Amino acid sequence: MKIWTSEHTFNHPWETVAQAAWRKYPNPMNPAVIGTDVLDRKVVDGVLHTHRLVSSKWGFPGWAQRILGNPSVCYASEHSQVDPGMRQMILKTTNLSFCRYIAVDETVSYAPHPQDSEKTLLKQEAVVTVQGIPLHNYVEDLLTNKISLNAGKGRQAIEWVISKFNTEVKDLTSSAVKSTDEIIAQTKKSLDDITETARKSMDDLSTAAKKSFDDIQNLKYVPPRTNQSLPEL
Amino acid sequence: MNSIGENCNELKKQYDSCFLTWFSEKFLKGETNDEMCAPFFKVYQQCVKKAIQEHHIDLKVIEQDHLGTENENKVPPKS
Repeated sequence: MKIWTSEHTFNHPWETVAQAAWRKYPNPMNPAVIGTDVLDRKVVDGVLHTHRLVSSKWGFPGWAQRILGNPSVCYASEHSQVDPGMRQMILKTTNLSFCRYIAVDETVSYAPHPQDSEKTLLKQEAVVTVQGIPLHNYVEDLLTNKISLNAGKGRQAIEWVISKFNTEVKDLTSSAVKSTDEIIAQTKKSLDDITETARKSMDDLSTAAKKSFDDIQNLKYVPPRTNQSLPEL
Repeated sequence: MNSIGENCNELKKQYDSCFLTWFSEKFLKGETNDEMCAPFFKVYQQCVKKAIQEHHIDLKVIEQDHLGTENENKVPPKS
């Protein structure tokens, strides 16, 4: 199991970010998400409850497809609550595809920043559990890295949506500059992480291979038989 | 954003646009009555429920909450 958490401050009031969150898809940063469908939606005690089905196309590497199968579309279930009185929005997402091997539970919350109520604090947590397949630890690392990378893109997407309906040009430029820097840093970090994981796995594999080779060598060494041990006729 | 049912896209677009207006203009301003988009939601729902069946997505899995119940998946015993 891997747990990943992240925080981010948007320089926009909560109301703006909450509206942007509903308009997040489609966006150029997350092309994998191809559909969202509302399955249920109701207002209970002033809180908006929504259940959505999120459909996405994931580009898994070939070896992963051979283990997991290759469904053309993956589905996730998202439950959210928006409380305008408390100025809070929480979204919880669980994968429905690959449930036998992989569980990804993600929680995202948007609330006013405790130090500045005109800003919005995003808190994000993902719990990744992979079991029942080879190299499950490696797959967990891979997925966690992917989530980390996508989170950066998701924040970009929110900014992108806001910039679309924001008329304040000054606000727009400053957030765009900041966001670009951020995505470059995110990408670099994820690449480093992936390289490190791959290197580790390769080391593990070579150690295992060497050990097996040594074992075979030892097996091959059988004391030579001599004719002397045979009874003389 | 598209629906999983291609034929639901137009209905979804109409509902989404109503919802976004309601969310910004009414709900965030303290008006919790959501009747405004109910007719759009109803027709869109009929379409999407059918599409979900056609895509063989098990809605029961989606709707049921297994955690904490006896249906919760257990870790298989180590042999």
